[in-house]
Amino acid sequence: MIETGFKEVAIAVSLMVLAIILARWQRAGTEKEMITGTIRSFVQLVAVGYALEFIFGLENIFAILGTLIIMMGVGAYTAGKRAKHIKNSFLLSFIAIFAGSLVTLGIMLALGIIKTKAQYMIPLGGMIIGNSMNCASIVMERLYSDISGNTLAIETSLSLGKSWREASAYYFRKAIKAGMIQMLNFFKTVGLVALPGAMTGMILAGASPLKAVLIQIIVGYMLTAAVTVTGIVSARLAIRQMFTKHHQLRID
Amino acid sequence: MGDIQDNSHASILELSDVVRSVETVDGMKPIIDRFNYSFTSGKIHTIVGPSGSGKSSLLRLINRLDEKTSGDITFLGRSIESYPVTDLRIKIALVFQTPYLFPGTVKSNLTYSCGEQNSNNDEALGELLQKVGLEPGLLNRPHDKLSVGQQQRVALARSLSLEPDILMLDEPTSALDPGAARTIEDLLRDLNERFNLTLIMVTHNFEQALRLKGTSLVLVEGRLVESGESKELFEHPKNELTRKFIAGDLR
Repeated sequence: MIETGFKEVAIAVSLMVLAIILARWQRAGTEKEMITGTIRSFVQLVAVGYALEFIFGLENIFAILGTLIIMMGVGAYTAGKRAKHIKNSFLLSFIAIFAGSLVTLGIMLALGIIKTKAQYMIPLGGMIIGNSMNCASIVMERLYSDISGNTLAIETSLSLGKSWREASAYYFRKAIKAGMIQMLNFFKTVGLVALPGAMTGMILAGASPLKAVLIQIIVGYMLTAAVTVTGIVSARLAIRQMFTKHHQLRID
Repeated sequence: MGDIQDNSHASILELSDVVRSVETVDGMKPIIDRFNYSFTSGKIHTIVGPSGSGKSSLLRLINRLDEKTSGDITFLGRSIESYPVTDLRIKIALVFQTPYLFPGTVKSNLTYSCGEQNSNNDEALGELLQKVGLEPGLLNRPHDKLSVGQQQRVALARSLSLEPDILMLDEPTSALDPGAARTIEDLLRDLNERFNLTLIMVTHNFEQALRLKGTSLVLVEGRLVESGESKELFEHPKNELTRKFIAGDLR
């Protein structure tokens, strides 16, 4: 295993310095963001590191669940902000992310694949929440832009006696697909283009590549399940905000 | 329906004190303001008025694409809210200003609303096309290989496939050249005469209302200012706003 401490991090900063010098030399205009990014990521991750050390030390289920809920809150806030045209987007994102996480973590716990230990629940939960967050925000954004961009088609359908469900079915499917496409593409190239995160981390930490691969496969299936649940739930909830119960299109 | 044999002069649709208000920067504003009218069965009704007078909004209230703020709308003696919305929209069909055809063929558009049962009956679909003055041979034509006039006719045929009691049309000829517009007008008069179909058509052009005959309603700023037999109304307008509208002073 490679040695890691603050000394190694300090040395690695030289890479950022080099990158910033290169950016400045080429007038890329990104230097300022790179400097704040370097500092910000350091502070943010070190703070998280200490927080996780603390939570891992507690080994208390409520502390684990509390942490996961906070992570979901931040994820829902981020996704909700991106889909700001949709009413109650924060709440909808939260429910969708919660559903995706609950189903996948729940099944993995029930089947005994993982234990209720912070060491498993928090990193896996983090991956689930992160991917679900992206999925929810893509689904809601796509749904809104497609539906608001096709009001004539939808109202034509409604005026021909179709229900809101029928009139929007095509856009509903398209939005869910858009939310899942990243995950589906990931499967196509996994291992061939880049080694995925969980696997890379385990190999760096000294695990055998085969063991890392097996864990990565579990992670891949888990994330797909989570993203599917979140995608469907977020699309269902968001689309209900765009139609009244009287099959009327309501887009602000 | 009961024993009434001749219901050609019966009221089919009645609007009482209908208001629709929408939120604007200056607060709630009525875009339809205490509208009262009784539409007679089997007639052509033309709603005319300058743009922004609420003509399209009125049609949208009648088939419930939008909700009224207050007042009553009754269709065949029953409040429109008492019908399932999807049924109401079949009984009172609406053709939009811009025809939208679903990707596919003319045939798939005509069978869009009637489902599978008629989808293989090319003869019936051909007759439907003939009703709107199109060749039955167009059935398999892709939706994007039609002129705007043809698209509007297909949209019209698609609405007719619902067998509605009332056909509402929102400026159906505004995208067409004068020649194509005239043939649509002839077609509408023909549909009304042959099938006794009740028509409610919106236009900003009072000459079109004159050509369609029937009755006209003049709508200005959401209010019904005058109504009556089209010829009489536009030749001898009683209301100052109608006169201004005819003179082209209301835009």
